[in-house]
Parts: sequence; C-alpha cells; structure tokens
Amino acid sequence: MAFDLNTLDGPFAALAGFDWGANADFFKSIDAAVVAAHGDASLRSALEKQFGTLLAGSTSRATKEYVCRKLAMIGTAVSVPALAALLTDADSSHMARFALERIDAPEAAAALRKALGMVEGSLKIGMISSLASRGDLQSVAAISNLLGGDAALAAAAAAALGTLATPEAAAALAAAKPAGDVAAAVIDARLACAEALLAKGDRKSAKAIYSSISTAIGDAPKTHRERAVRVAAKRGLLAAAE
Amino acid sequence: MRRVLAVVCLVIVLGSSPRSLLAAQAGEPPSRDVLDSVVELILSGDADLLPVALEKVRGGLKGEDFTRELAEVVLPGLERSQEKAALLAALADRGDKAALPAMIALAKGSADALVRAAAIDGVAALGGSDEVPFLESLLSAEAGTVDAARGALVAIRSDIVSPRLVIALGDKARSGPQRVAIVGILSERRETAALPALVDAAVDADADVRAAAMKALGAMGGPEQIPGMVAGLLAARTDAERSDADRAIVQVCKEHRSKDLAAAALLDRFMAADPAAREVLLPTLARVGGPAVLEIVDGLIASPDAADRKLGLVALARWPDATVKDRLLHLVATASTEEEREMLLGGLIRIAPLPNNSLDPAGKLALVEQTMALCRRDQDRGKLLERASAIRTVETLRYVLPYVDQPALAESACQSIVELAHQRKLRDGNKDEFMVALDKVLATTTNEEIADRAQRYKLGKTWERKKP
Repeated sequence: MAFDLNTLDGPFAALAGFDWGANADFFKSIDAAVVAAHGDASLRSALEKQFGTLLAGSTSRATKEYVCRKLAMIGTAVSVPALAALLTDADSSHMARFALERIDAPEAAAALRKALGMVEGSLKIGMISSLASRGDLQSVAAISNLLGGDAALAAAAAAALGTLATPEAAAALAAAKPAGDVAAAVIDARLACAEALLAKGDRKSAKAIYSSISTAIGDAPKTHRERAVRVAAKRGLLAAAE
Repeated sequence: MRRVLAVVCLVIVLGSSPRSLLAAQAGEPPSRDVLDSVVELILSGDADLLPVALEKVRGGLKGEDFTRELAEVVLPGLERSQEKAALLAALADRGDKAALPAMIALAKGSADALVRAAAIDGVAALGGSDEVPFLESLLSAEAGTVDAARGALVAIRSDIVSPRLVIALGDKARSGPQRVAIVGILSERRETAALPALVDAAVDADADVRAAAMKALGAMGGPEQIPGMVAGLLAARTDAERSDADRAIVQVCKEHRSKDLAAAALLDRFMAADPAAREVLLPTLARVGGPAVLEIVDGLIASPDAADRKLGLVALARWPDATVKDRLLHLVATASTEEEREMLLGGLIRIAPLPNNSLDPAGKLALVEQTMALCRRDQDRGKLLERASAIRTVETLRYVLPYVDQPALAESACQSIVELAHQRKLRDGNKDEFMVALDKVLATTTNEEIADRAQRYKLGKTWERKKP
C-alpha cells in the first residue's frame, strides 16, 4: 500500500523546529516513512527532497543529525550536494560523513575527495577515514601525500592506506619515512596491506612487505611491540610462502 | 654451536641448502620452503616464533610426506625436550596418522619423561584399537608414564578399551595402584559396559580398589548397581571408607535420573539385610530419606529395644530435609538423656534453614526460633545463628542482629550478618538496615576476616570466599 505523504506534513514541520530535549514522538511517523521508502522510488525521492530542504535551511544541529541518519539509510546521489555542503562545517561534518560513507553513489565519494582538500585538522582526518571506509581507491594518491605531514594526519593516512590495501597504497607506505607513533601506524598499515594482498592471491607483493618488515625489526626485538610485529611478519612470510 | 650444527645436519638430511626465510629457490614447490622455514623457526629456540612454526605444523604443509618428514626427520633432530614435546603436540593436533610410528617409537624408547609423555598423548590422539595394548602395557611402567598412559587410555577412540580394561581389572596379579588407575580410566570414559566389573571391584580385597570402584559407581551407577554398592558399603573396613561409600550410594539415590528407583533398591536391600548390616545401612538410608524409610525409622524409635531406638534416632538426626521437624522437636523435648537430646538438636539445627526443605523462608525462620528456644548451650545457639544465614531474608537479619549484644554469641551473630550481607541483592534492597548492622559488626567483632568483609560490604564491594 502506498504511503500517504500528506500525513507527514505535520511531522516534517515539527522536525524543522526540533531541538534536543523537545518532544520527539513525531520521529515515529518519519521513521515509518523511511522504512516504507525501501522499494518505493517515488516515496524515497519525495523524502530526500524534504530532507534536503531541512539540511539547507537554518535548522538546528539536532534536526540535521536526524536527517543525516535517515539519509544514511535511503540517500542517493540526489542528496549528495546538500550533505556535501555540510562537510566543511565543524558541527555537521561528522554526521554528513556518516551519511555519505553509506550512500551507494560515486558522487558521494567524489564529494568526500573534494572536501579532503578543503578542510584541515580533525575534519580532514574524518574525510580520510570515510574515504577508507568506502574503499575509495581513487583517493589513494591524495591520501598518500598526507603521510609526510602532521603526525595525526599521517597516522590516519597510514591507517586508511592499510584499509585500501592496493599495491599503490603499499608502495606509498613502504616509501614513507615516519617517526614515533606514525612509524607504528605505518607498520600496522603495511601488515594490513600484506594480509589483504595475500587474501587476494598476490603472494609476491605480500611476501615483499613481510620480509621488509622482518628485516627492519631484525632478530633482536627490543620492545613488546617489536616482538609482536616480528611474529606477525614471520607468520605472514610462512603464509605467503605456502 | 650445537644448534648451528643441528640446523646444518637437518638441512643436509632434508636435502636442501641453508636458506633464510626470504630466499626461496625458483621453481621449487612453495611448501618445501615453508618446511625449511618452519624447521628454522623451531630450531631458533625463540619462544616468540616457536608457536608461529607449530601453527603451520598443525594446519599447514598439507600431505603425509610432510608429516613423515616432520615426525621422522625433524623430530629426532631436535635437541631440547621442550621443543620435541611441543612438536609432538602439534603433530597430534595435525591429526595425520603418518606421524604415529614415530610417536610410538618415542613413547617406547625416549629416555626423556617429558618427550615420552607427549608422545603417549600423541599416540592417544592419532591411534586407535591397535595402540590400546601398548598403552595398556604402560600402566605397569613408572609413575610419570602411568599418568600419561592413563590420560591416553581415557582419550583414545576405541571400542576395545573397555573390554580389555575390564579383564585387566579382574586380574588380581596386577598391583593395586594399576587396578585403581584402571577403575579411574573406566570411570572417566563413562564406560557403562564396565559397571558389572566395577561392582565386583567394590568388594575387592584391596581397600584402594574398593574405594575407587565405589567412587566410580557413585558417578556412573544407577538402580541396578545399588545392591552391589550396598555390598561395597558393608565391605568397608574403616570409618573413612564407609563414609565415602555412603556418599557414593547417596549420590546415586539423589542425583541419578532414576533416583527413585535407586532409593527403592536401597530400601529393598535394607529390608533383606541381617540386623548387623541394617545397623550399617540405616544412616545411609536416612540420608536418602523418603516416606517408606521414615516408617522404618519411626518403628525403630518406638521399639522397646534400646539399641533399635538409638539406631532410629541416629537415622532421624541424619534426615536430609525438614519434613521430620515435628518429630525432632517432640523428641528433643522428651529426650531421655542429654546425649540423645544433643544428637537430635544437632539434627534440628542442621535441617532448620536447609535451602531445599519444604518450608518457605518464614517457616524456616520460625523453626530456627523454635530450635533456639530448645538450645541450652551457647555452642548450639552459635551454630544455629550461623546456620540461619542460609535463610536469605531481611527478617533473618532482624532476628540475628540482637544477638550481637550477647558476648557469648556475638561472633556467631556477626558471622551470620556478613554472610547475609554477602547477598548483594538482599543487601542493596535493605541498605539502611544492613549499614546499621554492619556498623554494629565492626564495633563488635574481633575477627579480622569478618571485619574486613563488613567493611567491604559497607563500601559496596564484593568479597571472594577462600577456596577450601
């Protein structure tokens, strides 16, 4: 049975004026509509339009967060511009990424890549994380360029490259000259890359990574972490050899 | 230096040149490299890397050829017993029978007890009926090997273990310890086909064999074994053995899925027994309880014969639940001697707060109060106060608390209060009353443990009971 959109006028009006602490009973009607929108393209489109209007307007942060959660479930490329506009906003960036990470449209990844070059600090780390979470291979080069910068950014970039785990990502990690905590993040990422490459059947690349790490650690590890890394590398070498 | 030589020798035997983990020769099957690497890691003596190598032995290097190479070439080449034992365990986990001959050879011939035990474990893991005679023969070896063989005979998958061990158990030429080990193996394997043999062993001339058999029957036996177990109880020579045998029979009559049939079988044996045997069996029968037994006990108590009456009173004092409370209360009040009174009062003190009796908590507390009124000695009152903590209600706390003011009973009352406070739900649900009671305990007790517990409960912390 088709969902009657007219029943949502009141709830959407309430949502436009909503803020934390206020009565949220009207959420139930909108939640039900979102559920009904799965398999109903026209309802989905109508809801996206309403949600887009709320994101673009001067609504509260609470309203925007609720809308982002719903768009994470039913959003399409249509919603990307409205969400992308929030990526540079410190208050809303996180929830906009929450939605964009999950929207199955190349436009969503493109928006995140574009924002990567526009933001700094924790927002930039967020973009790196979301791109890795989406498995966006087109962002490998841009993320690789961040390995040599600020320590927090470099560590996030290393972790993302470990998740993306392409030969290019592995090469960027191998070429990095990290120090301190970033060095640990890079080693973890290289091990993750090797494991992913091995799982894909690329034994040669995996073996090269494991052997490089094993050689770097040597036979006399000094710390508990070095011991753990050495065991992981040896274990990987055996797995790659068989 | 010796390790380097060992590596070189192994590599020569394996028909390959020394290589690092990284230098694989072109065209060679990858697993050959892995074997070399595994061997290198095992020989490295590196505690971090040994598990990495053994993981590969357990689940990698597919095929019998590798198993044989590991078992017949690598294993004998290892110098240290810990590494040998670890590789044996990994080969056992690998589950390939190709390693069995090498394991049997080590189980038979290794001079190292650790290696021998690991090899015996391996034989149990990989072997079957063919290996049972060998493992059985090890039961006559020295202590360390016997323990390993015992574990192996428990673990090995074979249908012939039970029949062979039953024959061995009946062989009186075997030593007592061997036959005790056999009983233990049959019991751990839960070999029900061996129950008749265990019943025979329950009346063996060797006290240790008898005790082991009764213990096994307690765990495995059912109604059909009760007559044999009764014979075992009657064959017991010491109080300790009798007590263990009694416990085994009660276990079957209380815990077996056909416990009612078991209890009926016990009663049948009692009825058929001669007077001397009845005297031995009645306390056990009383611990099982039930209306039919109670009728017998009542008859004995009413007997004009003093010995019969005493037997009946002993049985009643051992009763397992509070269904006999009215009888006990009456008999305590009318006891003819102080000794008789104390024995019956002991029974009342024991059953009053029992968690499985038929009374509700208020009824249990009322029985505690009635029993308290009958107590003439502070040691009985103290025991009753401590037992009262099994009735986990705030009413019990209210009942016990005033006794903290009586110097002779203060410690028992304090003990009871901390036991009640140990129940977090009860304590948290009646926080104000417990805080007052625990403060009173802290101001009164001289027992450090009780004080520590009271302090902890006041702060909402737990306390871990010491294991006996």
